[in-house]
Amino acid sequence: MLLRFDSVVAGYGRGDILRGLDLDVPEQAVTCLVGPNGAGKSTALKTLSGLLKPRAGRILFEGDDIAGLSPARVLARGIVHVPQERSLFPLMTVWDNVLMGGHSMRDRGAVRRRAEALAERFPIVRERRNDRAGELSGGQQKVVEIARALMLRPKLILFDEPTMGLEPKTRHLIFETVARLHADGHTVLLVEQNARAGLAAADHGAVLDGGRVAIAGRGADLLADPRLGELYLGGSGPTANGSGGMNSPA
Amino acid sequence: MHLVVQACILGVLTGGVYALMASGLTLVFGVMRVINVAQGALVILSAYLSWALFTHFQVDPFLSVLIVAPLIFALGVGVQLVFIRSLRSEQAEELSLLITWALALGIEGVLGAVYETTYRATNTSYANSAWTIFGYQVSVVRAYAFGLCVAVLVLLYLLLARTRFGRSVRATVQNPSSALLLGVNADRVRALAFGIGVSTAAAAGAVYGVLYPFNPGSHYDLISRLLSIVVLGGLGSVAGAVAAALMMGVVEAVVAVEISPVWSSFSYFVVLVAILLLRPQGFFGARERTL
Ligand SMILES: Nc1ncnc2c1ncn2[C@@H]1O[C@H](COP(=O)(O)OP(=O)(O)O)[C@@H](O)[C@H]1O
Ligand SMILES: [Mg+2]
Repeated sequence: MLLRFDSVVAGYGRGDILRGLDLDVPEQAVTCLVGPNGAGKSTALKTLSGLLKPRAGRILFEGDDIAGLSPARVLARGIVHVPQERSLFPLMTVWDNVLMGGHSMRDRGAVRRRAEALAERFPIVRERRNDRAGELSGGQQKVVEIARALMLRPKLILFDEPTMGLEPKTRHLIFETVARLHADGHTVLLVEQNARAGLAAADHGAVLDGGRVAIAGRGADLLADPRLGELYLGGSGPTANGSGGMNSPA
Repeated sequence: MHLVVQACILGVLTGGVYALMASGLTLVFGVMRVINVAQGALVILSAYLSWALFTHFQVDPFLSVLIVAPLIFALGVGVQLVFIRSLRSEQAEELSLLITWALALGIEGVLGAVYETTYRATNTSYANSAWTIFGYQVSVVRAYAFGLCVAVLVLLYLLLARTRFGRSVRATVQNPSSALLLGVNADRVRALAFGIGVSTAAAAGAVYGVLYPFNPGSHYDLISRLLSIVVLGGLGSVAGAVAAALMMGVVEAVVAVEISPVWSSFSYFVVLVAILLLRPQGFFGARERTL
């Protein structure tokens, strides 16, 4: 197991949001964490990447407890977090944003070579290189965020609702990018509010409810599990999750 | 016409000095949302240090920058690490206002105890010299002071625009949590940015005493001007602060010769209010600024 949350408790101010979270993330697979708005999905990722200190529990990465390390330390371990909110530096150029992804690398030449390689792989980086990142559309920004996240060749990539607010076509493109990362042997922990699309794109899944994992299993099995609908939407079934529910990339 | 041009020259030279003090203030705000109301007191403290070095050791005030700025940089880093960094609560912005105001009053108190309220001025041998260029009088000390401030502003620009540290400062300004996630050491960026921000006050302060007489209470007038400049320029925008400071210098100098010196400060505040009514975000609002 590449990553394991072991009884993790975390929250903001008074009250816990994560109440003993147990979750396994196997290597070279896409694991999808789903759950209703406010379930604590983003909190789980923030606790992992060091933005939030856990109050109890362990986070084991490659066997070591990394709970409570600073974001820089977690990054150095090979975990990169693409947060839910827009995370580009809006006034910097697309190119400088991508270079910022290699901020912790000392060798400037290596940073530039890596960025050039990613520009080949993500054409938007090449095409909009000298434009301010804030001028790109939401979907284009997400792609640049993904490219930036790959600068350090991470062992684990955390995506927090990467398709939120995007139109179906762009959402499809993001899921395709995730699938390509998977095919290239990357390990991905994906958070999705849209259970159907997320689980369809994943090998493994877990449903978060009340700060704990309620059910976990193979993505396809979870999709077919009647409990998913009960937990997730109070019994109305996963496909009832707005029009977005119908937009699985399959 | 001759008088107006003469006044504009004076205004630009004066504005340049204010531009430097204000750029540090707005940089600190941009990086950590702290309004350092001790910026004016640090200018006056630096003016005293430079005056003392000149009076007791005959160190030229323009050279004393090399001593005063590092001292104030260290003081700034210390204040940030000891008092401001530990503010983690939601009220960090308000509390930091109180802390920096306490620092300003503390500096005023110490200077008052040591030097009392007598006005001082650094009278160098060239204090009253002037060049005549195309028939216009240019005061030598004002030209030197302007040159020094432009040089420091250029250094500041290069630091922010061209270096790895500068990029991490800009990243922290534009998206603090994203900068953290990319491995930027936020504590280090904040402490150094605070030190750099107050050393711009030190650089300007070292030559302040050559331009104006000062006493420990002079910081009240200074900080109100500096705050108006950074608001007019757009809080957080260094380029905006420079533009606003130059505008202030020119408006005041032109009004002083064309109408009356009595109205010069007032006229600037009229222009300030008028511009802010039209553009509440200042010259460079959060959207269009580069930094
Ligand atoms: N910075 C914060 N301060 C206080 N409460 C927060 C903060 N961020 C999130 N919360 C609360 O924590 C709970 C879980 O939020 P989050 O992890 O963002 O949920 P999800 O990502 O699953 O939608 C919500 O009730 C939310 O209001
Ligand atoms: Mg969320």
